[in-house]
Amino acid sequence: MVIKYERDNIDTDVILPGTYLKIHDYDELATHAMEGIDPEFHSKVKEGDFIVAGKNFGCGSSREHAPIALSHSGVKAVLALSFARIFYRNSVDGAFLLPIEIDEDTYKNIENGDELEIIIEKNEITNLTKNQTYRIKPFSEIISKIILAGGLFKFKP
Amino acid sequence: MSQTLFEKIWESHVVVEKENGPSLLYIDRHLIHEVTSPQAFDGLRMKKRKVRRPDLTIATMDHNVPTSKRTLQIIDQTSAIQIQTLEKNCKEFCIKLFDMNSPYQGIVHVIGPQLGITLPGTTIVCGDSHTSTQGAFGAFAFGIGTSDIEHVLVSQTLWLETLKPFEIQIEGKIRNPFAITAKDIILSIIKNIGTDGGIGTVIEYRGQVITDLSMEQRMTICNMSVEAGARAGLIAPDQKTFDYLRGRKYTPKNYEDLVELWKDDLKSDPNAKFEKSFRLNVDDIAPQVSWGTNPAMTSDVTETVPSPEEFAKGDEIQQKNVEKALQYMDLKPGTDITDINIDRVFIGSCTNARLEDLIEASKVVKGKKVSKKVRAMVVPGSQMVKKEAEKMGLDKIFKEANFDWRESGCSMCLGMNPDILKPGERCASTSNRNFEGRQGAGGRTHLVSPVMAAAAAIVGHFVDVREMEIN
Repeated sequence: MVIKYERDNIDTDVILPGTYLKIHDYDELATHAMEGIDPEFHSKVKEGDFIVAGKNFGCGSSREHAPIALSHSGVKAVLALSFARIFYRNSVDGAFLLPIEIDEDTYKNIENGDELEIIIEKNEITNLTKNQTYRIKPFSEIISKIILAGGLFKFKP
Repeated sequence: MSQTLFEKIWESHVVVEKENGPSLLYIDRHLIHEVTSPQAFDGLRMKKRKVRRPDLTIATMDHNVPTSKRTLQIIDQTSAIQIQTLEKNCKEFCIKLFDMNSPYQGIVHVIGPQLGITLPGTTIVCGDSHTSTQGAFGAFAFGIGTSDIEHVLVSQTLWLETLKPFEIQIEGKIRNPFAITAKDIILSIIKNIGTDGGIGTVIEYRGQVITDLSMEQRMTICNMSVEAGARAGLIAPDQKTFDYLRGRKYTPKNYEDLVELWKDDLKSDPNAKFEKSFRLNVDDIAPQVSWGTNPAMTSDVTETVPSPEEFAKGDEIQQKNVEKALQYMDLKPGTDITDINIDRVFIGSCTNARLEDLIEASKVVKGKKVSKKVRAMVVPGSQMVKKEAEKMGLDKIFKEANFDWRESGCSMCLGMNPDILKPGERCASTSNRNFEGRQGAGGRTHLVSPVMAAAAAIVGHFVDVREMEIN
């Protein structure tokens, strides 16, 4: 199911506020995910959910805790108009979640609560609620290899 | 073929290159702090691996460190554990650590250049986005996450996607160099190109204005490249760069030979092609004050807080961004920036806590007192900065004006140590991020230069520092 935030520049300080960077337990980190803008997030997010957001998702700090907190909350992918590059790399390096770039029409069409199916091999998203299909901006070669390998340390060039 | 400076540094560090694909780059220097490194060391232990080049890896502690007296115990147990963990990891893996009691401790991006660890033409990484600061020395310096830290620890290399060179040409003449600072230049750039204007790029700052800046001012510019979305920012090294690094603790023995090499090579060729280009004229630039929740939401001090419609210019999502930002900041459109009252002032951070920043701010403060409504603090970027400032008597100037004079660390830039804003408190801050909750949950941050922060501390609200009387 989709949890949509209609805003750009969702930064790492709202994805995981700095004060929690001292926590080492990933499941405990997850209880604070998105706390900066959505204190309800932890109670509503379910395993297999997707976040949809605007431009420059994950801007700010290099904390890998940000994708870790989302991933351990159950988020499988973030669909955004664009991503800050450190967050993007962190997401795939640790195989935490898929950072998927979408276009403006797709962004407008997907609504809060929609059920989606993402087929990476076809670069395709199916909106099961609305019976629509959208294209994903393909991953670059290295990113898709790291994703398919299951993270940076399993990746063989 | 003509190349940009960035392309030259990249090319000279490629270990493996895949056609149209990623490159494996050699990393010359790896800096480490306590927040993003623990899991990387855990990974090494789990896989029974060693650090490949402990001699090229240097650590300090900055994010969690309290800025009160060093002799006091750390009260926050989780902070204390993170600091002890770094000590333990550095010992186990034979990494040089500048700990809390070291005269070389400080914010990692401040001490790198001060110790001569940062060198032109090198690749430098750290698990911290503001590593871009060190691009001011003509290095390709960038932030990485914890998985990449582990990769560098184990192999001294990193897989990287190609980045595009982006030229920012800064032209014109700054009329009042005391009031219009490097911070105002970089905030103006971000205001113009947006927080995502540099995604997928490495910015090279060029032009006479940049040449005229000091090394410390250049670091302020490169520091906030990441706030424009760029992976790194850099400036071609020149005589100022070479002079700055001469004779420092880790400056190489064959330094003068290296300078001869760098002089000819480390600049973009005359016909080098940049993928993107932007020009900023500084003739009429004013002191900048951010009013929103990202660094692009910034205005001249002479302006008013814009309305969402006015700022968004028809972009629906942007309009919502601004509505939410103004709500969080508790500001109404049309309010004069100079009518915004503040509760706190923070002069510090890897953006603006070097010696020159403190010297300039002290000129505003000298002989005056902090407004009774305001609590103000100065946090030097490193112990070395603190010592030099004290030698010049700057601590006395600040203390006499009722500023708190603290020990070095990241402090109130990011809400990880005891220096935080209370919910609703409004702060004039020389740091780099005005994100929601950045300086503490519910805190409201306005990004400004050190002289603007100092002026606001005295008056209790923002003021055009060009109109202040300076002793």
